[in-house]
Amino acid sequence: MESISSEVRLKVAQCFRTLSSSSADHTDVFDALETLNSYLDDGAESSSCTAAEREEFRRTHYSRTLRVLVGQLQADWTHSLSAAQRSQLWDPLFLKGPPDQALLVLLEAVTQLRPSAGLDRLVSVTERFLQGGRLADLLWSFCLGSVPSDSAQLRETLLARLAALPDLTANRLHPNNRPLFTPQRFYPLLASEMLAALERTCRALRDGVDCSLTFVAQTLGKVCLQGHSGPVLAVMAPRLAVCTRSDMVWQRVSWKLLQDVPERCMESVLTGLLQAADSPDAFSRIAGNLVLTNKKAEFVLTHKVLLLQYKYETRVLRTVLGYLASDRDRRPLLIQVLRSVSQAWANPSAVKHTPQEQQLYVSKALLLAASLLTDAELQELRSDLLQCLLGGMQSHLDSSAVGIRTLGLVVGECLSARMDLSGTKLKFEYDQNEETRELLSLMTPSVCPDPDPDPDPEVAAGSEATRESSQVKSASRRSKSDPDSDLDSDDDLPPYDMSGDVEASRAAPPRYLRDCLEALISSDDSLRVELSLNAAESLVRRNVFAAKEISVQMTKVLLHMEDRFSVSGFLVLRQAAMVALTAVDSVPVTQYLTTEFYSLNYSLRQRLDILEVLALAAQELSKPAADKVTAAASGLTPYQSNSAAGWRQEVEKRIQNKTKRISKGSGQPRAGAAPNRYAPVAGYFFFPLLRNYDKPEVTFDLLGSDHLVLGRLIHTLGLFMHLAVNAPIAAQMGAALLDFVWAVRYHADPTVRRGVLFAVCSVFLSMPSQALMMDLSQQLLETRTWLADVAEADPDADCRNLAVQSLVLLDQNLKKQLQNPNGLSLEP
Amino acid sequence: MVLICVWPAPDWSMSRPTPCPVYTLRGAGAPLNTLHFSCSRGDTPLLFSGSAKGAVHVWNLNSRRAERVLEGHGGNSVIWVSTLQTGDTLISQGRDMRVCLWDLTEGRSEALDSVWTGSVGFCQCSVLEMSPSSYLLAFAGLQTEETKIIEMPSKNPVCTLTPDTKLGMVMCLQLWKPDSGLGPLLFAGYEDGSLLLWDVTQRSELSRVKAHPEPVMCLTFDPGRLRGVSGSCEKQLSSWMLDDQNHIQLQDYVTLVNPGVSQLRIRGDGRLLASAGWDHRVRVFGWKKLRPLAVLQYHTDMVLSVAFSDHQDPRQRLLAAGSKDQRVSLWSIYNQSANTC
Repeated sequence: MESISSEVRLKVAQCFRTLSSSSADHTDVFDALETLNSYLDDGAESSSCTAAEREEFRRTHYSRTLRVLVGQLQADWTHSLSAAQRSQLWDPLFLKGPPDQALLVLLEAVTQLRPSAGLDRLVSVTERFLQGGRLADLLWSFCLGSVPSDSAQLRETLLARLAALPDLTANRLHPNNRPLFTPQRFYPLLASEMLAALERTCRALRDGVDCSLTFVAQTLGKVCLQGHSGPVLAVMAPRLAVCTRSDMVWQRVSWKLLQDVPERCMESVLTGLLQAADSPDAFSRIAGNLVLTNKKAEFVLTHKVLLLQYKYETRVLRTVLGYLASDRDRRPLLIQVLRSVSQAWANPSAVKHTPQEQQLYVSKALLLAASLLTDAELQELRSDLLQCLLGGMQSHLDSSAVGIRTLGLVVGECLSARMDLSGTKLKFEYDQNEETRELLSLMTPSVCPDPDPDPDPEVAAGSEATRESSQVKSASRRSKSDPDSDLDSDDDLPPYDMSGDVEASRAAPPRYLRDCLEALISSDDSLRVELSLNAAESLVRRNVFAAKEISVQMTKVLLHMEDRFSVSGFLVLRQAAMVALTAVDSVPVTQYLTTEFYSLNYSLRQRLDILEVLALAAQELSKPAADKVTAAASGLTPYQSNSAAGWRQEVEKRIQNKTKRISKGSGQPRAGAAPNRYAPVAGYFFFPLLRNYDKPEVTFDLLGSDHLVLGRLIHTLGLFMHLAVNAPIAAQMGAALLDFVWAVRYHADPTVRRGVLFAVCSVFLSMPSQALMMDLSQQLLETRTWLADVAEADPDADCRNLAVQSLVLLDQNLKKQLQNPNGLSLEP
Repeated sequence: MVLICVWPAPDWSMSRPTPCPVYTLRGAGAPLNTLHFSCSRGDTPLLFSGSAKGAVHVWNLNSRRAERVLEGHGGNSVIWVSTLQTGDTLISQGRDMRVCLWDLTEGRSEALDSVWTGSVGFCQCSVLEMSPSSYLLAFAGLQTEETKIIEMPSKNPVCTLTPDTKLGMVMCLQLWKPDSGLGPLLFAGYEDGSLLLWDVTQRSELSRVKAHPEPVMCLTFDPGRLRGVSGSCEKQLSSWMLDDQNHIQLQDYVTLVNPGVSQLRIRGDGRLLASAGWDHRVRVFGWKKLRPLAVLQYHTDMVLSVAFSDHQDPRQRLLAAGSKDQRVSLWSIYNQSANTC
């Protein structure tokens, strides 16, 4: 033994000496290379050395040999190698030896060398190394445990280099990187090499050879941890799913592989696998009972994916829950999951504080889990579920967001249907949209996608072809019937105006405002009430003087009016009439409405109506009344045109003809200026609403449970503020509004917060920047931090957007103020 | 300077203003239940109208005056008038349960004959000319559901058709003869909304559909296209067609703005359909696709009947509407291909 090792050492040392001494004659160099190659030639009978010598060389001298070769890249003899000699003598030294050492040396050299011909040569050797399937050899050698110098440190280095190969090469070869080294190509390659190693493992296991999958598992874990689980598992998962379908050995290999994944990588491997697996069955075959043996896997699958993260598609949820349900041993976990998910769904604090997307996700998980339970299990869980249903629905229905209320309704309906509460079922009315339809569809167990491993492409193509031909057929049939119908058209008969064809009314509408009011107050005749309500708005607008006399009385009647006869469009008509009254006679009506807003014995609906009417009226007043002016003009002009305007027009035209113009101004007539009707009355709309908000009444507690109205109120105030832009009173309004919203800026209800942010936005928009800075100077920093905080951390997406908007506006104001030379007045 | 165009530029493609009647005929002194044109023969175009006071007015459309007034039903409402193509024979049906035949040749106006029907309902008769000398007359019989067909002028009964289930009164009838050589067929609408097709020679029911939820008030059938339409007291007109096996197939519904139709008529060239509405309006549709074309507003009470004239010259064709407000309005629409009102 001793003699062999010393003999090999002598020979190798001699070769090294030859290689490093740069003599003019290269023949002895070639001899040395050949000698070294002969140690790597497996099974070649002609070689001059024994198996023991070869073993010795691989174990102790291989790495050094490669290093010497790399060190001599600049030597004369290296350059004088012809292409044939290089591929016969130089390259095989890298490609035939132990792959782990070769890879380490290659990558080390690639990272250290400067760009040169030598580097190019190494890179192409590395490329051939990858193309030649040496990675599979590398992994396989670790599976067999045949790596001569296996140490934890070596492994770690090797893993790091292997997983980061695209990064290493990209850093070094930046513009000249090879396509094979890009992540898009390398990771799928690595995945297929891992599959090849697993395949060999299976074969070896059948032959009774023991193998270890630790290194492959470590590689997989490392790659996934670095964020490349997508491309790797996209290759591995389908293949594994197919192989494990009927082959027990493959199943064992696959389970063992996942068990051996290091704990810190487990999560990324599992989530990647969940996304790559196309059905619960496939995932269950690949992962086996991993969830029962591995604590980390259990945490990820039963907790993290369901309750902490919500970015995955519904398919992933289906996979997880289907996996848990598909085995008897795992079913207790499903029940446990259902318990925790239902608790999470019903938790009132979660309903209030988590984003709507997450609640949707949790609801999906809950429905899916419930649909997977058997009836016996359902009986067992019945009381828990019922508890969850009752509490959860209440907290969902309390929410002010429509989406969350709908979520509560849909889940309640589905769960109650599933639990079969002694024949009674909940049934709600809600808007069908994509979201609710998806939720409802979760209750029907999905038909698994066709588990055909490799769908025969020809069959598919054939069916497609038949479908196409049938389409063509039906199209041709249709076109056959078409010409007939074309001939049959009535198109050459142009229709007359049919706008006069309306529903025949059975009575005449009221002609006077007082009649209208009378009918609204006391009539029991549904027809009269309907006609009066229809006519109310136009009567108010036509007879402004009459309307001013009875505006408050009529507003009172309309505000208290109930839809006794279910008049079609009742709400719209009533609102339009009230808006008309407010616009025509602003001061008394707003005084009345704002007082009533805070008084006793109104329903929330009426209070919201008041706010809506005020907002619409303010909007109408703030619009320039240009349309009315032109309408009046067009009504008058025909009478004048006969006498006065006719000749004037004629003269004007003649002058135009005689006049020469060098250039024409803008052809468009400028918008006529009209007084803003809102500015003088803005205060009447605004300030009374700020007066009493903190006085809770018996029936109305604005800062307590009636946060819906509060949100609406703040929003409306923000609107008044926005419409008051350029009004003299805007500065005072803005200051008061900021004071008001400051108190409720951290309200628990997202609608209120949204209203607050809207109000802040409108203050920043409408308030003169100088006044704003004066007012805000005390709390400028605090406001900024508050807005930044909301923009970053608020669970509601609208709030975040609005906060960003406000920040931008604030900064603009600030900049404007600082550029202003008079901006020094910032100092109080 | 704002330039005002007082008359908006005419936009014929979108909406022409609603047409006005060409002229109206007044003086009947009673609601006009039925109208019938006779313009193809002789030199003076005539319009016959039956009033609720039992008078049949013969209007001269050139002088626009009533030429003659025929009173033969003893003051009972006249619900149907018609003429035969051959000879100057007028047929009128009254609520006195009689159908009268009048000879109008050379200015005569005498009742020739009368048939006792026994029907107390409002069902209008239907006439079908089989040969120059004989014609069939279909009318509702004494029993509730029974329809009688007799051969005129010999008054020989041909058959009595009674459905085997309870369908209520017969509401409207139309006789016609298919080109296929089959015997004369009869459409009958009943009080429960059913529509039946009878084979007169076989005395058998060929097809039955439930066209309306309410009584069938009127129907009309276009033998050229084998399509028909029926109206009821609700908002829908129901159109149907006859297939090869003589089965009635319901097609589509046209929804009206206001409910109730008293009469439906198709113009002779098969291009227009007119409906007499209870809402005082006459509606005109394209017959091929039932596209609404015009709404004629003139009357101040229910329109009870409509009729298209049978002028030889298509440009003279008129549409007449008789109403409960005791007037007849005459309209000239869609008389040329590039039509202006």
